[in-house]
Amino acid sequence: MRSKAGFAGFLVFAALVLLAVVGPLFTPSHLPTDLNAVYLPPSGSHLLGTDSEGRDIAVQMINGGRPVILVGVLAGAISTLIAIVFGSLGAYLGGWVDSAIVSATDIVLTVPQIVLLAVLASLYTLDNPWVLAVILGAFAWPYLLRSVRAQVLSLKEREYVEAARLLDLGTPHVLFREILPNMATFIMMNFVVTMTNAIYALVGLYFLGLAPIVDDNWGAMLNKAWTRGAVFYSDSLFYVLAPVLAISVLQLSLVTMTRSFEEILNPRLRQS
Amino acid sequence: MDATLTEPVIRPARLRRIIGPIYRAYATRRVLKAILTVYLVATGTFFLVRLLPGNPVEVYINTQMSEYGVSYADAASQAAGLFSFNPDRPLPEQYWEYLTGLVRGDLGQSLLSPGTSVLHIVFEYLPWTVFSVGLGVLLSCGLGSLLGMLMAYRRGGWLDHGLSMLGSFLHSIPNYLLAMLIVVFFGVQLDLLPIAEMRGAYSPGVTPELSLDFLSDAMYHASLPITVYVLTTIGGWMLVMKSSTVETLGEDYVTVARARGLRDRRIAAQYVGRNALLPVFPQLAITLGFVVGGSILVEQVFQYQGIGFLLLQSVQRRDYPVLQGILLVLTIAVVAANLIADLLYGRLDPRVRGAAEGGAR
Amino acid sequence: MEPILSVRDLAVEYRTAAGPVRAVRGVSFDVHPGESLALIGESGCGKTTLGLALLRLLPALATIPSGEVLYRRRDGRVVDLLKLGREELRRFRWSDAAMVFQGSMNSLNPLLPVRDQMRDTVLAHRRMPAGDVRHLAEDVLRKVRLDPARVLPAYPHELSGGMKQRVLIAMSLLLDPQVLVLDEPTTALDILTQRAIVDVLRELRERLGFAMIFVSHDLPLAAELADRVATMYAGRIIELGGVRDIFYRPRHPYTVGLLDAVPPIAGDLPVLVSIPGGPPSLLNLPAGCPFRSRCGHAQDDCAAAEPGLQRVGVVHTAACYHTVPADRRAIRGEDVTSA
Repeated sequence: MRSKAGFAGFLVFAALVLLAVVGPLFTPSHLPTDLNAVYLPPSGSHLLGTDSEGRDIAVQMINGGRPVILVGVLAGAISTLIAIVFGSLGAYLGGWVDSAIVSATDIVLTVPQIVLLAVLASLYTLDNPWVLAVILGAFAWPYLLRSVRAQVLSLKEREYVEAARLLDLGTPHVLFREILPNMATFIMMNFVVTMTNAIYALVGLYFLGLAPIVDDNWGAMLNKAWTRGAVFYSDSLFYVLAPVLAISVLQLSLVTMTRSFEEILNPRLRQS
Repeated sequence: MDATLTEPVIRPARLRRIIGPIYRAYATRRVLKAILTVYLVATGTFFLVRLLPGNPVEVYINTQMSEYGVSYADAASQAAGLFSFNPDRPLPEQYWEYLTGLVRGDLGQSLLSPGTSVLHIVFEYLPWTVFSVGLGVLLSCGLGSLLGMLMAYRRGGWLDHGLSMLGSFLHSIPNYLLAMLIVVFFGVQLDLLPIAEMRGAYSPGVTPELSLDFLSDAMYHASLPITVYVLTTIGGWMLVMKSSTVETLGEDYVTVARARGLRDRRIAAQYVGRNALLPVFPQLAITLGFVVGGSILVEQVFQYQGIGFLLLQSVQRRDYPVLQGILLVLTIAVVAANLIADLLYGRLDPRVRGAAEGGAR
Repeated sequence: MEPILSVRDLAVEYRTAAGPVRAVRGVSFDVHPGESLALIGESGCGKTTLGLALLRLLPALATIPSGEVLYRRRDGRVVDLLKLGREELRRFRWSDAAMVFQGSMNSLNPLLPVRDQMRDTVLAHRRMPAGDVRHLAEDVLRKVRLDPARVLPAYPHELSGGMKQRVLIAMSLLLDPQVLVLDEPTTALDILTQRAIVDVLRELRERLGFAMIFVSHDLPLAAELADRVATMYAGRIIELGGVRDIFYRPRHPYTVGLLDAVPPIAGDLPVLVSIPGGPPSLLNLPAGCPFRSRCGHAQDDCAAAEPGLQRVGVVHTAACYHTVPADRRAIRGEDVTSA
């Protein structure tokens, strides 16, 4: 990674994810309700203050990242897998297989995702993280699929693929040994982007109350903060701000990371 | 001597006769795909609402029967009116009834206010979203494209760097979070904006009419949602337009245009601008779909009574026919927007129009 | 006759990541009204850069650290093109000197039909009613033997390569320029189209009398169209003379090498001699004559200092200390008696 900003973004991103995943090991998993300590401002014992039930916000922040990031990772994995498999198959095989895949992608792309999520949420209780991951992942693959397909199409023409084909090494071999390793960085970036978008959608779902709240994740914090009017008091500001900032920082570091990657992949954007 | 030198060029009139059917084919293909998408979503909704166990129709009938002692036949016919198909009939018939109802515009009636058609309710809320989202996306795209082009022309300068950073920064805040931040900071903490007053699509007591007063009131209330839409999407446009412009500036025909002594303004508009804008169009439709989806969140924060607001309300109140209707209407809207953008692109780029011909070579 | 274009010690430098590269290192020549000059050389010798520099169309990475390009305007005044302000330069471009670029594939705006692009060109310089503009466009298209009714409403992608090239030549004539610069006018075209373009150019020169500078690596083209020929090597002109001088009495070993590398179309196939090695890196030019390493006649003094253009004929100069004798045949090793 050449750009300093991109590297900084990467560090922040990794740090945040690490904190969210490893942090909960060091914090109490269940906080008791202390009505004497409602909406305390930040202090030595409560770094970010307390919420409407007197519970420490900083602890909630550390605990609250994991459920959300977990689902995000799952969703990212699912959609990346679908995108890679079908994207490369379609590009490599061409013909009607390709047309069918492209059409399916276009259709999924045009259906407004959040609306469908809302409808699903009304019909079924979305409390299982796997269910959530599948649903979120089911909408994220079109973008990645298109990119994978485009990349495979362009790489298909390169010499070493021709050589492998001439040697009659078979489709799976060419696919896995020649094409995909070249796209590794690209796929990784897309996975990270998908994961973050899933997190954002998930937090949105919690915020709207469409997914039932079982533990203190970031989205749940936002929901409670909003519905309990934490917005209107400066004491309770951190209750609202903390998750907002966490997600924003996550996204910002991600965007910086991807932009520096983009500059590497597209040399014309680089400053001479 | 002349005969051998005039190469065969397809005459303009004949060109149109050959290209015509092909372009129309491209258009018809797109329209067919659009219709297919809508059909699939409609069928999917039917499947969700009717066929899965524990589906709302069954629940409704059971509730009616157990709590109000209504007979199955009566409950079924009540449900028929609300859901726009009769659950007492065999399944394929239900499906057919559902589809024909859709085409007629019958989306059933609201569970919570029986007697009011879903279509009616949806169209009470839809215009507000169309207004705010439409204005927001257009403003964002227009402003973003102009800025992007400016950034490309002044590459490496402070404007470029500054706007890039700003764009990335704004792009990374999810729209509803930005909305909340605005409410929190500008509304509550700094008391700059009269948040309470700005709730809703228009001030209470004002009747919707085509007057300047009403329009300015509507704009006042829509200004915050629009601001959020613009701020969160403008970064993307700037980036797309900047990279597209950079690429166009490197093209031969731009150098030739300068060599021809054309004025900079003309080059920027007709030679650089028009060409650089082409990739922006397909992006427009996709963004529209996105922002419509995002409206459910933003409208909630600002209590703006658009279709996102209605959607959430219906979910909370389990008003399934309305939900079904919203999903369909929104999908149709997004599909239509995509279709228009695609067809428009075909008109703008003559190479796409004549793609099948591939030039006279 | 006074020259219409006078280039004096022109240098062009590119800023690269590896350091400055001097693509043109002090070039001087004159072009007289109605005269045709060919700039011949291998790829990378700087000829295209030189052509672009004349109209100041170089990319942003290039600078012109020194030199003058003196142009005699229609009113007789002489100006240095390198010192023109932006608006003056804009007005100069196309109406005084026009350029036809290499690889016409992408030289036209793909979104505008030909008629609009012609109109843009004319209206950028003159005020003219629409009807007159159209007549002018039709006129120039006919001059290049294209049918205006077919070409004017067409989009660039609907035209073949040869037609696009002719459209560009026609467009260059719209404002009746005094000088026309062409960069590789026939490259990337098939043989028949090349023939057509050459005929068109010759005809146009006879009828309209503009001065022509064309850049090419195609020697037979120069033989057909040029009055004078300049060969370039490593950013400098190393031989300059009338077309007959160059083709029958080449004096610089490089020019001789170039001519020897082209097989004749008729007669016995002689032993083809190509010039060994490749052009030097412009980043690290060796001291002395840049052609030294590939030259069969190099001697010790060639390494000391780069030779300047020395007179070898009436209007013939070559940059060499040990020019080839005027009799070409002897160099090829053929039996001089077998005429």
